[in-house]
Amino acid sequence: MNVTATKQKPTATRVLSYAGALLETMDAGLASSPNVFIMGQGVDDFKGIFGSTTGLAEKYGADRVFDVPLMEEGMTGAAIGAALVGDYPITTHIRADFAFLAMNQIINLASKYSYMFGGLMRCPMLIRVVVGRSWGQGAQHSQSPQATFAHYPGLTVVMPATSQAIVDMYPQIINKHPGPVISIEHRLLYNLDFSVADSGSKIPLTSYVARPGKDVTVVATSVMVIEALRAAQYAEDKAGIQAEVIDLNSISDPDWDLVVDSVRKTGRLVIADTSWLEYGLAGEVCRQLVMRDPGLLRVPPAMLGMAKAPCPTAKSLEDLYYPSQHETVDAILTQVKGQEHGIPLPTERSMTEGYKRFRGPF
Amino acid sequence: MSSRDELYRRLFRTALLIRLVEQRIIELYPSDKIQSPVHLSIGQEAVAVGACDALRKDDVVFATYRSHAFYIAKGGRLDAMFAELYGRMGGVSKGKAGSMHLSAPEVGLMGSSAVVASAIPHAVGAALAFKRRKSSRIAVTVFGDGATEEGVYHESLNFAALTKAPVLFLCEDNGLAVHSHRHIRQSYGLLQHAASYGIATRRLDEGWDAVAVREATVEAVERVRAGEPFLLEIATARYKEHVGVGEDFHFGYRAQADIDRWKRHDPLIQDRQLVEALTPEVEREIAQAVAFAESSPTPGRAELLTDVL
Repeated sequence: MNVTATKQKPTATRVLSYAGALLETMDAGLASSPNVFIMGQGVDDFKGIFGSTTGLAEKYGADRVFDVPLMEEGMTGAAIGAALVGDYPITTHIRADFAFLAMNQIINLASKYSYMFGGLMRCPMLIRVVVGRSWGQGAQHSQSPQATFAHYPGLTVVMPATSQAIVDMYPQIINKHPGPVISIEHRLLYNLDFSVADSGSKIPLTSYVARPGKDVTVVATSVMVIEALRAAQYAEDKAGIQAEVIDLNSISDPDWDLVVDSVRKTGRLVIADTSWLEYGLAGEVCRQLVMRDPGLLRVPPAMLGMAKAPCPTAKSLEDLYYPSQHETVDAILTQVKGQEHGIPLPTERSMTEGYKRFRGPF
Repeated sequence: MSSRDELYRRLFRTALLIRLVEQRIIELYPSDKIQSPVHLSIGQEAVAVGACDALRKDDVVFATYRSHAFYIAKGGRLDAMFAELYGRMGGVSKGKAGSMHLSAPEVGLMGSSAVVASAIPHAVGAALAFKRRKSSRIAVTVFGDGATEEGVYHESLNFAALTKAPVLFLCEDNGLAVHSHRHIRQSYGLLQHAASYGIATRRLDEGWDAVAVREATVEAVERVRAGEPFLLEIATARYKEHVGVGEDFHFGYRAQADIDRWKRHDPLIQDRQLVEALTPEVEREIAQAVAFAESSPTPGRAELLTDVL
């Protein structure tokens, strides 16, 4: 599948997978300065975090790209210590769920060291976590903790949805951003190919318009940006509806003006997130809108997220658990034309139909 | 004066400074000028003083919420410390750290954490950074005996041993985790446990003796600088309550006699001659620091959202 996230007038493009974009930026980060290093379980093995670190240990040496024991808290603490004396650590968690073992270091320490010491301590670092989905990932390999992390001041949280976002953002983060950054990557995106422009405007560490439109605003994150783009195309093809898709992209520092301006224009809103709706990103988007102007929406917004349960493993339940392409299209059509829109929905039941050749590696 | 006498006197003076600073804190506390929980080091000064004297200025120390002693022993500014306790702009961290998060990166104190054991892996990471740069600097993590029960302590020992990180694990064993005695908390022997990772260890029972602490640390640091982790456990005694400025013997969880036995060795109590000789100039130093804190402005709204990132 080749997915294009619209970007203003790219000059020249090439095809690059999400994993390939990660590998490029990891490589470039290591090349940029000897103080950059990568550690994580399996970063130097033959799978190389799904191809995102493959060959880097050989290229940069075992003291700069190295495997660690199973010690999420210890690893994150060691990263903080290295950062405090001037290194730039990149750590990996092959599932975001495992980063919960590092919560003490991330929340009690990394997020607070700048403020708690009055600016004397800085721990710039990049923590890469991968969200799993499909093929029975289940309750402990599927969680998407953007709302959790973005709740805490001092953490910068991004969710790159495309290769372009990685190629543009990671060089702004690695060895440049002053504090700890958590990048929530999505496993389903790793094997997708994207068109990437190497020149032109860079995706910033905040939100951007992935597809312009005038009829309805779709605020999406991570893989749901891809789903939203597909749904928007369908809605345009079948009903002439122009949906504006905003990739929120930065969860800690979204461009709220961009979102508000879009909703002011469309009066209609779909929020498509990769996690639970309760106390989450969808609520925050609404809070920001309502606080600025309670009269922006012409109809109640639609919200797509995971069902309020731990993730099941059975395919039949998993298909119900995640918002489907069917539901995403329906939400867009309903916002614009009402529930009785009468427009046929795509036959594809779920997003995983589109990626069903995905059977690992996990 | 012999060099050993000079050493004793130098270490004694720093230990006395720490004790008199904390006694000043006790005096000030009822005034509510210091609105910060304080975990006093009184009784434990010799550990910080002896250990820090064995380090180079560019060696780094990661400490705990009970770190007035390490802050002073590593060479942190006294006026900035008092201003920090007062919550003033002139404080180490402009009043955002208080007593529990002292730091002095200019002399290698790389922060103090109030979550037990949480800074232990920091020292391992810093040590590995030094090793990667082929630097001769080392990292020290200071923690209490209770911290060794936390999982991250094990993770840190294991990782340090595997990577031969130049890190000194310095355990201040006062036998108590808040009010809980060691025998109800630990099924392991601390040294045997560390030794099972291949980490060299030593315990020093005379934690009141700064010169002995220094000698033990010098030996440990030599091995660490040569490229291996080391665990040094030093027995010590916390005279005051876990947090706050009072005594807590009347609660009955520990015996005053145990502390009294320790005090019979404590040079800051026993060597009255040197205490009397040094106290006036030390008190003058403290008075200047307190005056600095008193005159330092309080942080205003402009500081509220500064340094979040």
